[in-house]
Amino acid sequence: MTTASAHGPSASPDRELLRRYHVHGDVSAREALVERHLPLVRSLARRYAGRGESLEDIEQVGAIGLIKAIDRYELAREVALTTYATPNVVGEIKRHFRDRGWTIRIPRALQELNVKMSGAVERLTVRLGRSPTIAELAQELDATPEQVLEAVEAGSAYSPVSLSASPGTEDDLDLMEVIGEVDKEFARADERASLEPALGELPERERRILRMRFEEGLTQTQIADRVGLSQMHVSRLIRRSLEDMRDTLSR
Amino acid sequence: MSAPTTPDTELVELETPIGREWEPVVRLVLGGVADRLGLGFEELDDLQLAVERLLAEAGAQPSVKLALELSPDRVRAHVGPLRAATIAAALQGPSVPGQLGLRRVLETVVDSFGLDDSAEGELVVRLEKRVPRR
Repeated sequence: MTTASAHGPSASPDRELLRRYHVHGDVSAREALVERHLPLVRSLARRYAGRGESLEDIEQVGAIGLIKAIDRYELAREVALTTYATPNVVGEIKRHFRDRGWTIRIPRALQELNVKMSGAVERLTVRLGRSPTIAELAQELDATPEQVLEAVEAGSAYSPVSLSASPGTEDDLDLMEVIGEVDKEFARADERASLEPALGELPERERRILRMRFEEGLTQTQIADRVGLSQMHVSRLIRRSLEDMRDTLSR
Repeated sequence: MSAPTTPDTELVELETPIGREWEPVVRLVLGGVADRLGLGFEELDDLQLAVERLLAEAGAQPSVKLALELSPDRVRAHVGPLRAATIAAALQGPSVPGQLGLRRVLETVVDSFGLDDSAEGELVVRLEKRVPRR
């Protein structure tokens, strides 16, 4: 009779997959490990919901922590992968929030309202055929308009910064040219020239969203329909992308 | 800064320090105004984004005034005084192809914008968002 060791290669699917990846470089084993432990990532990510990031984004960040844990795992360790991965996943998520400056503690009631908000906006937009008002949202959520606004705010902590990042000084500008424009409204530009050079290092999804918003002139709701996200999520991605572009320009 | 009013307009004014920690205050004020006017959730988001990007352009100046002129069919936000050079540079001329600057953002998210006051090298920017007909 053969007795498998508790940590033997055949005793644990995780260890067998880890062995295949680390010893033989089998990347399909790595992918299988990621797939097996995504429920753990989702579970950990849910703890950080309602702080201004969509659950989907938090899960993606957590998945990066999981991949790092798999890559760093040493086969000689007498520890389960889940035990080793958990602090890595949590650490990655916390680092993400810290980098974003989203460490604000939000009251649970507002978190819950914020979580419900996105669905309510979607439902009402479909029902009404337009973006709902704050009052309509409040009624839908059995809350006051002030609570709705606070809940939206709880989900929109971000740091907008200058887009132009003009390195010039005040001397660079002929102020009179500008003052000459007083009381004359700027005409809405007809041209929707390509934004490609400005989109720089943004991920493809964000590039696509910015193109749709600022090049094609689609509304957030229209974009949300096309990319399969909520309008609130699209709003957050637009803001974050503008912020990231500014960061890139500043470097 | 003074925002012209007529009998059917209301005026809400706020003077606030500029800085990340004060942005929620501005957003909440805009939200309250949007609620009073029945502005849609997405239109509110657009107006908030316009004001936020404008304030971001204002750079390191200590404070700014926000005057919100409310009519049944629109809200006009007068933001200033802002340092003329920075804002003018960001708004002047047509949108530059390939750039996503303040002007391009404002062209997209508000119905109109312009300069409605200036003094001593400072400017006030006007943003207008119309209330959609229901």
